Amino acid sequence: MNAWLEVPRGWLDSFGEIGRFGVRVAGLIYSGRVFKFFGESLRQAGILIFGSALIIWAFVFILGLQCGLQGAYFNRSIGAPSLSGLFSAYCDLREGLPYAFGYILSAKVGTGIVAELGAMRISDEIDALEVMGIQPMTFLCATRLLGAWIALPFLYLVGIGLIYSASYLSVVQQVGDVSSGGYLLIFWMYQSPPDLIFSLIKGMVMATVIVLVGCYYGYTASGGPVGVGTATAKSMVFNIVAVHILGMLGTLIFWGSNPRAPIGG
Amino acid sequence: MMILTVRTVISAVRSPYPYGEELVWQFLFVLRLSWFPLIVSTFALNFGAPGLQAAGILSLFGALDRLGGFFVVIAIRWVGPLVTAVVVAGVAGTAITADLGARKIREELDALQVLGVDPVKNLVVPRFLALMVVTALLDIFAIVTGLSAGIAAELLYHQPLGGFFATLFTNATITDLWSSVLMCTMFGAIVAVVCSYKGMSASGGAAGVGRAVNQAVVIALVAVFFFQFVVSSVIFATNPELQAVR
Repeated sequence: MNAWLEVPRGWLDSFGEIGRFGVRVAGLIYSGRVFKFFGESLRQAGILIFGSALIIWAFVFILGLQCGLQGAYFNRSIGAPSLSGLFSAYCDLREGLPYAFGYILSAKVGTGIVAELGAMRISDEIDALEVMGIQPMTFLCATRLLGAWIALPFLYLVGIGLIYSASYLSVVQQVGDVSSGGYLLIFWMYQSPPDLIFSLIKGMVMATVIVLVGCYYGYTASGGPVGVGTATAKSMVFNIVAVHILGMLGTLIFWGSNPRAPIGG
Repeated sequence: MMILTVRTVISAVRSPYPYGEELVWQFLFVLRLSWFPLIVSTFALNFGAPGLQAAGILSLFGALDRLGGFFVVIAIRWVGPLVTAVVVAGVAGTAITADLGARKIREELDALQVLGVDPVKNLVVPRFLALMVVTALLDIFAIVTGLSAGIAAELLYHQPLGGFFATLFTNATITDLWSSVLMCTMFGAIVAVVCSYKGMSASGGAAGVGRAVNQAVVIALVAVFFFQFVVSSVIFATNPELQAVR
């Protein structure tokens, strides 16, 4: 029986440590100590953009196609195909994009950070940094978090454009129950600038948690090549659940009491 | 990867079958790792996205009983298989890549080959079969958890549950269920092949295993999402009873 409870118990063990680690890294950014290595942060932002942007956008695009498809068929089945725009607007901006962004970030960026930092830890490069008088936590973790904060909002905003065009493609061009104008009318009616801000906040909170979890598991990796692989796998498990829970909390906070729809008073 | 797929399928059906014990072990391993993340994830996703968003807008119309029909779309056709695949890829797929990658780095796979043991037949095939079965089974749990999240959203808005179940059962069809489970079986196959391939071709020491896990999970996720789009397009287009007004 004990083996079945291994995963939840492991999280309970590491949750507090991840929290403490995250607060320390964020503290390094707020105290301004990370700006000693501002060039390194910019380099990390550049790596994010050149290495991950395309895959993030492709993933988001596929989810947009799927949103449009499911929405179009659902609205056909309730006899209101002209309202597909409602489903797409909600699915794309409020839910689909943050989740797609969280999934692909935890897969690409989160595990990437664990693999990189874990390899450094195993080959004692992190200890070498300390000997050289460079604070490894500032140089490795805080710069990555700052780089993510610099680059990711822009990737997210471009992703919004892509997911919108993907939904448009699958609703209007593939299924074709609604005209282009009718779709866009409903689509734009059911969203407003605050929704965009809320969605962006949701995505960025997820990104912050993913980068911090990745840094934690990479920074504390141990046990040779096997240890790096295990740490990478563990960080992915933690990130997936964190993404879902943050998504639910974001929905509860931003849209739970007020659906922000242009219906009624 | 295609070659590995074909080799895996061929050696799975051709006798002898030495992988029985490993199959059971892998099955339990995946189930043990995945059940908790799966239940938490599906509950959170179904409660947040379709539950609260749709209930919010439906309560403006005063039609909260329609949430049941909506959950057929979300929980059974879409989110159930999707979250199951994401969790299996993230939990079991990464574990498989890390395991096989570590064995590759320590040259255990070469040693097996020298001993005359086929690594595909003894390591990849049990994982492949176990993941296919486990993903399909976990999909049922994902659907049940998703529907209970819908019930939670309904209760949050102080609604009686009769309307929810009535629209749920009039809108759900057998096609929905079997297509969802079948889709999940294929997802399991995709995840297993991608992750085994990346694990078995890992190289370059400690950094190499980590990088293999990273690439494996990215490829598996993109492949699963794309595959789901194609499959659900085909299923919707070929089964008109899914589009009937009820």
